[in-house]
Amino acid sequence: MIRINNIVVKFGDFTALNKINVHVKEGEFFTFLGPSGCGKTTTLRTITGFIEPTEGTIEVKGRDITHVPIEDRNIGIVFQNYALFPTMTVYDNIAFGLRVKKLNRKDIDLKVREIARKVELSDDQLKRAVSELSGGQQQRVAIARALVLEPSIICMDEPLSNLDAKLRVQLRNELKKMQKDFGITTIYVTHDQEEALTLSDRIAVFNKGVIEQIGTPNEVYNYSRTEFVCNFIGDINRLCEDIVRQMAVKGAQVDPGKHNYIRLERVHVNTPPTEEDLVLDARVDSREYYGIYIKYYLDLGCQTIKVIERNDGVNIYEPGQMVKVVINPRDIMAYPANAAAEER
Amino acid sequence: MQRQRRGDVMTDLVNRRSLTSIFFKTLGISLFIYLFLGFMVLPCLNTLTSIFRETNAAGEPDPFAVIRFFFAGNMKNYVLNSLKLAVILVVTVNVVGVSIVLLTEYFDIKGAKILRLGYMTTLIYSGVALVTGYQFLYDDDGILTTRLLELFPNMNPNWFTGFNAVLFTMTFACTSNHALFLRNAIRNIDYNTVEAARNMGARPFKVLFRVVFPTLTPTMFSLTVMTFVTGLCAMSAPTLLGYDSINPEIVRLAGSSSADESFPQARAALLSIILAMFTIILLSILSAYERKGHYLSVSKTKARLQKQKITNPVANVLAHIYAYVLFVIYMIPVVMIILFSFQPYTSIRMKNIDFKNWTLLNFFGSADYQYMTSRGTYKTRKGSISGLFSNEATLAGIKISFIMSVAAAALACVIVVIVCNYIFKNRNKKTSTVLEYCLLFPWLLPTILICYSYRVFFNNETIWYVGNLNLYYAERVRFLIILAYTVVRLPFSLRMIKAAFYAIDEELEDAARNLGASGLRTFLQVKLPIILPSVLAVFALNFNYLFTEYDMSATFASSYATSYAMVIQSMTREEGLYGYNVNASGRRCASTVFIMIVSGIILYLVYGVGGRDLGERLAIRDKRRKRWQKIKARFQREPVQSTT
Repeated sequence: MIRINNIVVKFGDFTALNKINVHVKEGEFFTFLGPSGCGKTTTLRTITGFIEPTEGTIEVKGRDITHVPIEDRNIGIVFQNYALFPTMTVYDNIAFGLRVKKLNRKDIDLKVREIARKVELSDDQLKRAVSELSGGQQQRVAIARALVLEPSIICMDEPLSNLDAKLRVQLRNELKKMQKDFGITTIYVTHDQEEALTLSDRIAVFNKGVIEQIGTPNEVYNYSRTEFVCNFIGDINRLCEDIVRQMAVKGAQVDPGKHNYIRLERVHVNTPPTEEDLVLDARVDSREYYGIYIKYYLDLGCQTIKVIERNDGVNIYEPGQMVKVVINPRDIMAYPANAAAEER
Repeated sequence: MQRQRRGDVMTDLVNRRSLTSIFFKTLGISLFIYLFLGFMVLPCLNTLTSIFRETNAAGEPDPFAVIRFFFAGNMKNYVLNSLKLAVILVVTVNVVGVSIVLLTEYFDIKGAKILRLGYMTTLIYSGVALVTGYQFLYDDDGILTTRLLELFPNMNPNWFTGFNAVLFTMTFACTSNHALFLRNAIRNIDYNTVEAARNMGARPFKVLFRVVFPTLTPTMFSLTVMTFVTGLCAMSAPTLLGYDSINPEIVRLAGSSSADESFPQARAALLSIILAMFTIILLSILSAYERKGHYLSVSKTKARLQKQKITNPVANVLAHIYAYVLFVIYMIPVVMIILFSFQPYTSIRMKNIDFKNWTLLNFFGSADYQYMTSRGTYKTRKGSISGLFSNEATLAGIKISFIMSVAAAALACVIVVIVCNYIFKNRNKKTSTVLEYCLLFPWLLPTILICYSYRVFFNNETIWYVGNLNLYYAERVRFLIILAYTVVRLPFSLRMIKAAFYAIDEELEDAARNLGASGLRTFLQVKLPIILPSVLAVFALNFNYLFTEYDMSATFASSYATSYAMVIQSMTREEGLYGYNVNASGRRCASTVFIMIVSGIILYLVYGVGGRDLGERLAIRDKRRKRWQKIKARFQREPVQSTT
């Protein structure tokens, strides 16, 4: 569907994107994930035509669109702050692109009302100014405006970032449902790893203008290819050399010379160990209560380790209490100790 | 093959688009260079060089003759007088300006709302209208002077002339900026800082001087510089009240010839340049100070300023007295002018309000006037008493000022909108910075210098780029004045409209392009509707300024372009001569009332109606529709009720 081949974008001496290669499949929900300034929005703007790449090509359905003007690409965009025209009503916002295409009034009306119904905007809301709508309704208008032109792809640039936490979760679900209903290929940009994991079919993790890993949410979370990805996605513990050495002594296939990580939920407290598990004594340093689970900070002597335990209402450990920490060496993700990793 | 052909078509399309874009860009740049060099740089450069082009009595070039003349003669007195006015004005305006803001916004003074209205009257009438209004009260046959003379017969009836009169008038005329900007600054103070200082034991006046005033310093500094420049460039007050300062002298010299005095044109040019130098220095200081940055509130939640009670009863009474004395000074001219504008000429002559006799004759219609000749016979002069909208000369003044102001205000807005659109699109390019500075160029020059330069430079038939036409000749001067008006209003328009452009979310433009809109369509349908309220506000404010301006039209001094302000100014002198213009004073009052109404409407439209966003406009429309439906329903229901 979309093929990005060796894209390089330079701003003066600064290389914003360095040899980006992505292949997005038809109907896929594909997410560009990464911290601020990593190049994800630049890639999106290159696809949509706002930025011309210094090198490389972009193909959509086999057609090279690298130098095609923005308006001829047939790619819809939902902007970070929705970019709704404040001087127009909701109806006029959605109808804008259709009027540019010089459709007759009857067709415009038909298409606007149809798309409004699909994104659940009422006739009354169509007459209102965009400033009178809630954040969620504005998002729907932005999506309707992009979809009414029947684009082959829709690009979304952090559309949930300006909303409060509760609304973000609610709209995230709506967005996913809408994407499935329309079946449209979607490229989504976010820096929120939780958002990326819950929404995406596949994720490309960006860092400093390059893609570190492309994979399904499960792949990037559980089998992070680089140390950056493993650190960026979810919370994680880096194990001190001492602990890794103890595992190696026990015969586990671990290398104390590498950087060894373990996810919080893979560390267990006071559970019966298997033969290959390493059991360590720890003292509860502090805890954070999240309702559905509890996060503990456990002092292992050489380091403090973070652990999350399901809140069953019974096994709640108090600060100062001694516990047994159980780690399975197979849950460890190890990366070469290179300079870049040290920097992080 | 097919793919290759599609690619070729696309490349052709892109090439054609870029060729069109290059054509328009080149055309735009050429036009801009033509306008900038031809109508800003060259006329002013001509003025500057004219100083050094003089010859001595033997006809030999003597480049420093004017400069020697400046130091030898009394020319420097005009500069010193202007400086004296500017320096003292800074003190008096700041004292009164800060007082009116503190009395209405900071201290708890009873009747503050009414006081505020009184203090803000200078927003709706200023310039010649205000000066003639003050003259109407205070000059040798003014209402108040006449009353005072009845009480104190030995009093000097000409007390309201010269420096004191100019200072008094300008002090109250120049507080409009304080009423607007200082008021906003004081309203933005976080009240929590005041409470914190009080909590730490500071007394109210200590809080005022140590907490409140320091945050107002940047605004005060800007206002001080602007007041200084206003004092230096004062024109209408010194001209009408008789004070020898730079600008009236420039205008006088501009109308003089070398047959009457030594090199008048070069002297006028030298004075203009001196004025420009002072302006440039002051504005550079202001700009350097502004670059240092302002105090920024660090509060996450700002508390609204609450009025401070003056706990000392004596101080409280004195503050109230001071507030109301200022109120009376501000309001007396306004009230008197409004009242006398509805009085017959006999009452105006006698300086008495006749409560039984009111008339609209000063505004509309005309009447005959009967007077006694030197032979003792009575003669009737037909239509000698005429209203503002019936008097030919006044109507002509209103008409010409209206046309010139509308044209210039619109032209300034159009130029600035086009330039701002370019700057907005190319904000990181050097060309946009150059373009911006070019439009700000007139800000550095006093308006009188620009007008004087135009008058001299275009008053010949050798300027090739205007088709060798003498633009100062006959009716063409109107076009020249429109150009001067436009140039003078460019910096203000740029500052205001640029701010509006920068408030546009950049993504809106991207969104429109993504939806297929061309650059022109994006500008007309997306950007323009957003900035339109600001553009209309700038247009209205430009019009308001130009419609009653006196300084520029007086510098051009052409009978083909006698502006409304010049007509008003002439009304102070022509009253009742040989039975002509019998009610000139009444018409002058009516003119001031008319200006107040026009300015009031414009300010309401700009800040009232213009401030509404689409949501508010739709809500009002919806409300009106519902009200209309209710009325309709009532009418439809009534006959049914009567039958039952």
